[in-house]
Formats: sequence, structure tokens, C-alpha cells
Amino acid sequence: MNTEIIKKTKWFWAWQDEQEETWLSEMANEGLLLDKVTFPGSYQFKKGAPANYIYRLDYRSLKAKDRESYLQLFADSGWELVGEMAGWMYFRFLRGKGKTPEIYSDTESKIEKYQRLILYLVVFLPIMVTVLPSISGRVGIFSSIAEVLFALLMLLYGFSMISLIRRINELKRS
Amino acid sequence: MNQPVSKHLPLTESTYYILLALISPKHGYAVMQEAEEISQGTVRLAPGTIYGAFSTLEQSKLISMIGKEGRRKIYQVTEIGIQVLLGQIQRMEIMLQSAERNFTNWQKKATEE
Repeated sequence: MNTEIIKKTKWFWAWQDEQEETWLSEMANEGLLLDKVTFPGSYQFKKGAPANYIYRLDYRSLKAKDRESYLQLFADSGWELVGEMAGWMYFRFLRGKGKTPEIYSDTESKIEKYQRLILYLVVFLPIMVTVLPSISGRVGIFSSIAEVLFALLMLLYGFSMISLIRRINELKRS
Repeated sequence: MNQPVSKHLPLTESTYYILLALISPKHGYAVMQEAEEISQGTVRLAPGTIYGAFSTLEQSKLISMIGKEGRRKIYQVTEIGIQVLLGQIQRMEIMLQSAERNFTNWQKKATEE
């Protein structure tokens, strides 16, 4: 019997990773098991028996030499890697009767995940403010369109920064 | 106490048990298991937290990678790491002694009244 492949598109921002985890669990409860993430916001599922999987997302920019020991540590603890997209690692765990397993056991390390995302944005900023305007200057009549796009990109950047910082503050209060 | 040691103190409960477990060489999952066992179940470490803690501790040279066992990296506490652990234990001894002294005084007063 061929396994049925089902594709779904749904957008989650980086700071909505908990909603994304919940959504993936709901899908698994309906028999849609995450097979891979093909593009940001594009999920491929395999149709199967409904399963009580819980999903957790980690964010890391792993060096090739650290990758296998990182994945091994998660595998040893019962977490299976099912997808990967732009630094996001999608893990699943077949839920038993005990306590809900977690990939982070304290708030500090959970906060560090969002700090890594912020760091990624900060590294990206000089590229945005130097490279992008110089490209838009070269395209002549399209430059006004490019300027609008650049402004939108900056807005998106600011929005992402604020949302991530808000998420960190939320965790600090909890 | 010299400066490099005291700047790491006090240790969090998680870091304390990680260092204590790494007195003998271990990989990450073995540290998770030992920490849970020797803390009598009070400290449960998750893989993401262990992974982050190992990177931080390695950067600050309290632990170092001494080899590999298949895909697993084996770590052990360094000489500085041992000094930091001893510093922490000394602090905990002071905490216990102070508690003992004050509780004894308090009980003595209670029986006198």
C-alpha cells in the first residue's frame, strides 16, 4: 500500500513556535504525521494511524562537526528528528503516560533559543542596510519599487525584533 | 579564593550536578541519567538544556571534550572545573552551618521560654 502524502501550508512566526508545536500534535492526532518541512510554512505529512506525538522545535545554527552528537543526544533522550528548516529542528516524541517530555528543562535555556534568533537578526542587519540599498540604486526606474520593498523589509525586521523580545520577557515573567 | 574560580560562583543546581557527574568522563545522556539519580529525582535535565550547558561550560573551560564514543562526545571536568566545584561545596557548607547555628539558637530560646 502506498503511503498517502498530504501537503499543507500554514504560516507561523518564529515566536509562535509553541502554537506550531501544538498544531503539529493536532495533525498527528488526526493521523497526519509530519514527514518533512519543504519550505518555510510548507509541511508535508504522511497519512497514517492517529498517534499521540508531541512535537518540539529547537533553533540552532549547528556546525557540521557538532551535528551528529547533537542529534544523538536528542535521540538518546527519545526525540526523533522529523524535519529541518532554516536552523529549525523539528523533533517528535511518542507520548506515554508520564509527564510531558520537554527539550528544555529550565526557562534560561528556553530564553537562549530566542536570543540565538535575535543574534541571527543582528548579524543580518549590516547586510540589509549596506547591500540592499546599493542594489536598489542600480535598477533605475524600478528604484522606487525597490525602496518600498526595502521599507517593508525594515518594518518586518523591526516587528520581528520586538516580537522576539516580547516573547523573552513573557518567559522571564513566567 | 582566586578570581577565576569565584566568578563562576554560585553555580545553578543544574550546573552543579552536571559538573559533579563529569568528575568521571561521560556523554550528555549519561549526565542526564546520573544527575537525576544523584539528585534523587530533584533535577531532571532535558537534552536542549544539556547541550547548551555543555557549550557554555566548554567555552568557560570548566569541562572539556576528551574523546568520542561513536556519535557521542565524551566530556570531563577540567582542573578549573574541579576548583569551581570545591568552591561551590565550600559555599554550601557555610549555608548548612549557618542554618544549623541559627536553628539551634532558635530552638534553645523556645525551650527557655
